Amino acid sequence: MNLDAFKPKFFATSTKGENAELLVDLNSEYRDRRKDAVKRVIANMTVGKDVSSLFPQVVKNMQTEDLEMKKLVYLYLMNYAKSNPDLVILAVNTFVKDTDHPNPLIRALAIRTMGCIRVDKILDHLCEPLRKCLQDDNPYVRKTAAICVAKLWDLDQERAVENGFVTTLQDLISDSTPMVVANAVVALAEMQESSASKDVFVVNVSIMNKMLAALNECTEWGQIAILTSLAEYRPLDSKEAENICERVIPRLQHANGSVVLSAIRVLMMFLRYIKNDEFIKGLIKKMSPPLVSLLASAPEVQYVSLRNINLILQKRPDILQNDVRVFFCKYNDPPYVKREKLEIMIKLCNDRNVEQILSELKEYASEVDVDFVRKAVRAIGRCAIMIDEASERCVNVLLDLINTKVNYVVQEAIIVIKDIFRKYPKRYEAIIPTLCENLDSLDEPEAKGSLIWIIGEYAERIENADELIENFLESFLEENSQVQLQLLTATVKLFLKKPSQSQEIVHRVLQTATQEIDNPDTRDRAYVYWRLLSTDPQAAKAVVLSEKPPISVESGSSKISPGLMDELINNISTLASVYHKPPTAFMGKKAFSADAVRKAAVEDAKDEEQITGEDGAATAGSAAPKNAMADLLDLDFGSSEPAYTSPPVSSSKPTSSGPNYSADLFDMSSDMSSGGVFGGMAGMNAANGAQQQQQQSFGVMSPTNNSNQFGDLAGLGGFGQPAQQQQQQKPAPSSQSSTVNDLLDLF
Amino acid sequence: MGSIFSRILGRLWGDKEVRILILGLDGAGKTTILYRLQVGEVVTTIPTIGFNVETVQYKNIKFQVWDLGGQTSIRPYWRCYYANTDAVIYVVDSVDRDRVSTAKEELMAMLEEDELKDASLLVFANKQDMAGAMTAAEVSDALGLSTLMNRQWSIYKTSAVKGEGLTEGLDWLINVMQK
Repeated sequence: MNLDAFKPKFFATSTKGENAELLVDLNSEYRDRRKDAVKRVIANMTVGKDVSSLFPQVVKNMQTEDLEMKKLVYLYLMNYAKSNPDLVILAVNTFVKDTDHPNPLIRALAIRTMGCIRVDKILDHLCEPLRKCLQDDNPYVRKTAAICVAKLWDLDQERAVENGFVTTLQDLISDSTPMVVANAVVALAEMQESSASKDVFVVNVSIMNKMLAALNECTEWGQIAILTSLAEYRPLDSKEAENICERVIPRLQHANGSVVLSAIRVLMMFLRYIKNDEFIKGLIKKMSPPLVSLLASAPEVQYVSLRNINLILQKRPDILQNDVRVFFCKYNDPPYVKREKLEIMIKLCNDRNVEQILSELKEYASEVDVDFVRKAVRAIGRCAIMIDEASERCVNVLLDLINTKVNYVVQEAIIVIKDIFRKYPKRYEAIIPTLCENLDSLDEPEAKGSLIWIIGEYAERIENADELIENFLESFLEENSQVQLQLLTATVKLFLKKPSQSQEIVHRVLQTATQEIDNPDTRDRAYVYWRLLSTDPQAAKAVVLSEKPPISVESGSSKISPGLMDELINNISTLASVYHKPPTAFMGKKAFSADAVRKAAVEDAKDEEQITGEDGAATAGSAAPKNAMADLLDLDFGSSEPAYTSPPVSSSKPTSSGPNYSADLFDMSSDMSSGGVFGGMAGMNAANGAQQQQQQSFGVMSPTNNSNQFGDLAGLGGFGQPAQQQQQQKPAPSSQSSTVNDLLDLF
Repeated sequence: MGSIFSRILGRLWGDKEVRILILGLDGAGKTTILYRLQVGEVVTTIPTIGFNVETVQYKNIKFQVWDLGGQTSIRPYWRCYYANTDAVIYVVDSVDRDRVSTAKEELMAMLEEDELKDASLLVFANKQDMAGAMTAAEVSDALGLSTLMNRQWSIYKTSAVKGEGLTEGLDWLINVMQK
């Protein structure tokens, strides 16, 4: 007797599960039961249960006059064809029959589903029905077949060409129905991207004309596709570009934001070819209202629009001149929209509307969102730097803000005022006492550093400058390296200006910095100063107290290089224009090529550059020697970020000698010791790193080349981990400081 | 009014379908037979990759007739269609003497299947209109039909193109199934 029979069965149930039930129902002799079963299968499919094992049974129900049932089975097929590639062959005959069906909807449905089944084995059987459908009488079937060609192309380019589908598709651009034209354009554009020879879809005059003819009549998606392809066209002369623009302009009225932006992209691109100034003016006037009305949509759309407007404004600053009010932040705007609006407000700021903007910014500075408040305060500073006449008003606003005594507002205001001091030296010294009153409330490194810089810079006018500095020095060793560097420089400045009072201080500071501080940045700078002071105080004066280069406006905002700008304009209304990065930077494999990474890193560094930071370096290309020294002096701000030195600084005058040479040395030493180098090393792949290291060891031999190299290195640092972290992990190389010493001997 | 009534009746009794499979090697004429039965005409056919299914009304009986592709690549999937089958029509190309043994193998393998143990077998010795066609007896011998046990079977010589022999076969089928 089998005892197992008496044991209770917990795991083996009598039913085989739901799929077994469905299997029976799918094979039922009753139509209703079969239909219900298919519905249940689809229901299970949509909730994620695996019903792929029912494939043959479901396919059996494919040939039916019941449209509902047919659609369900097609849905199933699309989903599970990939997991049952062999069985798909059972469906082929039904597809072939359905593409001959009198009902165009079924013909289109069949061809579309066939296209979605990405199984090589049925490609052979797909070609004949596809050919039929491409020549179908019904436009809906033709347009569906057009898309299907692109899908076939994706699986097997050769087959698509051999069967003449590509040619047929090209002919469809001359189709009488706009919908078909638009879909053919979409398909061809997609195929063009993946084609090796790039000759699948070349927009020439006749294609361009056909697309323009279809443009107004097709759906919004069709319009977007046509506009996108239109942007590929290069007009022969100004007149032609004008004509195209004339015909695209009506699209600006469309309710769909994407259509509007696509149209704007075409217009922006063709503006380059137009020589007629009157026309350009008129066109730009016409582009403003649609951009403004985009801002009435949902926040997400607003954000995308704002990012694009940001680009358009940089390219065509004369647009939207009278619409600054539109960009004022509403209290309920999400933070990301506010930030972008702020950015655009600054871009639109001019001497006529500055009053309005300033009062608006002042409002923002009293909001609750700390981040936004900081940005608003910074924006006030940028207004001041941009517009000379408004600087006084800006300073007054900032003083008002400082008087609010709100901690973070005060700190931010002080940082901003430092920039104003740099831009307008010796104009607003009267406010220094007010700033010093707030000395104790400062706890952020950047704010502290800013105030210290001001004290050092104006040491001769501040009676108790030495006391103030002394005050700060009490906590010298605990300070952030950024503050340490500022303190160091300020002390030396103080010494050079008032030698009698501060000899003791400077001595003590230099000693502490060289002996007790491990940070090579600070230590090496102290060494440099020490040598400088002990060798030739006059030279020290020339270096340390040299005139600063002016702060430029552009470096503050995210200025984009002209080349990148053009590329981004070409990509308006895509992700690229939202990221403000070229598509290659975030798409596909190309992004990982060494060149792209390097380029992207340089762009990054540019983006991250702040008004307080290395602006001198970025604008220094024209006036090399002095600026490079200034770099050394002002480098400290934001030195937690990788220091970026623009290559032209050193390479622009490689043959000159004397002061220029020394400037390069300084430039290099600062770069070498700055954390960015280490960060950069870490961020790079091994081979690259080795190469760079080699270069570094030869640093003394060819300073010009190397500082150039290091600039890049530092730029790359943006991809590595935060620089300071890296520094602590790596043992501070002793050779570094000795290199610096060697340099100084040379000097 | 009448349609509602018949639908209610359909619900009560159920629209039970009589399911018939047409099988056979490729090019035997299965699809031609199917459409000859359904529309009464000869249609131009292409090799069936997959299946056709049509409802055929004959003598007030509704048949759901499945015509499965006969190509080597599709034959393994015949088994997916065996469930709930009342009868199998096996079509043989009477001219193709070379492959009649393959036809036999496929037929025997099919009849082994558990799901088909109650299904009647109707063999059509097709293409009788062509010269050199085997007779029904020859085909029967070649397929070894006489060795079949526990199976209702019959063989008819047919010509799908001319429409000969098909109705006789169906008559036999109805006769067998009504018993």
